[in-house]
Amino acid sequence: MSRRILLVEDDRVLRSALREALSIEGYALGTAASLADARAQLQHAPPGEAIDLVLLDLGLPDGDGQALLAELRRVSNTPVIVISAREAEGQKIRLLDEGADDYLVKPFGIGELLARMRVALRRRGRTSEPALLHYRHGPLAVDLKNRRVRRADADVHLTPTEYALLARLVRQAGQVVTHRQLLADVWGAEHTEQTHYLRLYMGQLRAKLEADSADPQHLLTEPGVGYRLAEPDAID
Amino acid sequence: MDTKSLTRTILALLAWTIGWAAMVGLEGRLDLANLAMLLVLTSALSALWLPGWTSMVVSAVAVLAFNWFFVPPKFAFTVDLHQNALLLVALLLVNWIIAGLVIRQRRLAEAARTVAAREARLRQWGDTLRDASDPAAHASALSTALQEATGSVVAVSVLRALGRQPDNAAALQVGEPDNEQRVGLALCVRDGRAMGAGSGRYDELPDAYLPLRGRGVTLGAALITGLARHPQGHELRPHLQALCDQMGSALHRSLMAAQEQQARDQAQLQATRNALLAAISHDYRTPLATIMGAASALQEQGERMDGAQRQRLAAGIVEESERLARLTDNTLQLARLDAPTVQLRCDWESAEEIVGAVLRRARRRPEGARVHAWVEPDLPLLWCDAMLVSQLLDNLLDNGLKYSPADALVELHATRDAEHLVLAVSDRGPGIAPAWREKVFEVFQRGDAGPSEFPADAGRGAGVGLAVCRAIARAHQGELLLRPRAEGGCRFECRLPLSGEGPPPQSAPAAPEPLP
Repeated sequence: MSRRILLVEDDRVLRSALREALSIEGYALGTAASLADARAQLQHAPPGEAIDLVLLDLGLPDGDGQALLAELRRVSNTPVIVISAREAEGQKIRLLDEGADDYLVKPFGIGELLARMRVALRRRGRTSEPALLHYRHGPLAVDLKNRRVRRADADVHLTPTEYALLARLVRQAGQVVTHRQLLADVWGAEHTEQTHYLRLYMGQLRAKLEADSADPQHLLTEPGVGYRLAEPDAID
Repeated sequence: MDTKSLTRTILALLAWTIGWAAMVGLEGRLDLANLAMLLVLTSALSALWLPGWTSMVVSAVAVLAFNWFFVPPKFAFTVDLHQNALLLVALLLVNWIIAGLVIRQRRLAEAARTVAAREARLRQWGDTLRDASDPAAHASALSTALQEATGSVVAVSVLRALGRQPDNAAALQVGEPDNEQRVGLALCVRDGRAMGAGSGRYDELPDAYLPLRGRGVTLGAALITGLARHPQGHELRPHLQALCDQMGSALHRSLMAAQEQQARDQAQLQATRNALLAAISHDYRTPLATIMGAASALQEQGERMDGAQRQRLAAGIVEESERLARLTDNTLQLARLDAPTVQLRCDWESAEEIVGAVLRRARRRPEGARVHAWVEPDLPLLWCDAMLVSQLLDNLLDNGLKYSPADALVELHATRDAEHLVLAVSDRGPGIAPAWREKVFEVFQRGDAGPSEFPADAGRGAGVGLAVCRAIARAHQGELLLRPRAEGGCRFECRLPLSGEGPPPQSAPAAPEPLP
């Protein structure tokens, strides 16, 4: 059964371009051109045909998509990917902290959108899917169950803090995790401004896990926003 | 009694003492008429020093005393001979005439002094205003000058721009007028005519309001309190008005000059903006032409093409769209950095992370494999806006890839040089001619001056790129420099100060507890 996607976007041309691209990938795409339209579709989806993922534009004719995100987060954890022309980093971070799964700045390539959608659907879309316990990307493997990290089939020793940081990224592999989320989850809510902790521990992790820490393949930086662990090769 | 009039009184007393002594001493040897001459002389001398009316009284007393002491019968006010009576009357009259003349002379001198002082004040005021760059700042000087001239409390209200009212916040107020006086000042500015005491308008007011008149406009008003009660109020008025008008025309001149300057700036800004818009449009047209051509070919001839042809056209569309996106980012960023209130979102950032993110973006492009990056180990954290610094490096890499041969490396190095972090992008392109080394950083200067300087197809692209890079470096109190390389090609060096916001925090605690 194909995944149901709701695209909330007021630009007709972009809407139809995405419809073509997504339907080729086998997604069932519903579209809404306004907040009201989107609300109606989310509320009145027939039973068994609930929306699996929302692609949300921010500047809509009857309001800001941010409002819809807030409403949606109160009642469900349906994945939301924000697509917007706005480049303000502050807003990007706020949306991620408020529960958006990812953020794409227009213009974007379809490949990038599909990758982000895949990650978002895998993580939260279906409750029946098990949480990611084994992460593998190239030579890097993380086994959350046994707390083991291996690189090119050799064990890597991490300090507890390094491991906690890596494990937090694995939980959301493929998605950007903001500085604030990482700091709150690893160090505690009172440390959310101490981004330099992250710089230092991420540097240590890169030194241990990357072949060339200036050209990382796994631990990716989203400047000004947060970090992203590269999308896993496959789910074990 | 001040020292000056004291000295004068003493001098007069001295004259009288000497005069009387002479008269008493010479009484036996000279006849009465000669003694009377001595009296006239003494009286004339004392009139020079004594105040007018005192001098008249003193000479009258002196004539009586002369009668008592010298005119027979002595020690009585009666007079024997008619001619002696005539002599006394003549004495009295002559003394009074002298005193009267002296009084008049003194008044004339006084008036001349006043006029001279006013002229000096006007002249000095004119000099002050002529040298003033902002006459509005001289409102307090005007207030002082008016206060000196009248001795009354003064308030001055000056407009800061043409066409505004003094109750507007933009007006400059000197002195402390009450509400009613404030309204009076505003009214005076609005009408551009004097009002209040002695002006013919609202004559019943105790205070006078004088406009500061420029050519055809009124740019403020002065309030002189209690001018109605001032003894010389009437004569002072033209002088005060002259002071005010000088201020008014100086204000007018400076406001006109400011307006002209503003108009010139505006025109210049407009010209720059037009050039910018023209250049942007030109830069957008090139990728748009590629996209348009490829997309319309796919639309109209797609069915007759094989898969590889279609793929090539589509790749062209994607590549040119990315170019357009970069161009848009740069243009937006340039506009943002140009704003006076630009706010950087600074944080402690790691050069390694910024380089890593930039490298990853570059790698997505087909020619990205040519980029080689190296980051010095153990670099300190940098206080910067990571988005901006990575945009700077994106642009430099884009530039390096574009202007160097397709098989040459483009190097991105992050190193430390004393108190600076140096982010350098080097390429093996043709280099940049010395004449262009500064110009490349100007908005929309591209090295399209001649084929000898750039490859023929290299004129396309990031017209704003290097200008944005330099703006970003400077927003971080850093600098972006271009250094030619001895072996060919060029090296763009971005130097950012490491001591941006105090010592960077270097320690971080371990997490309180590992995740389950």
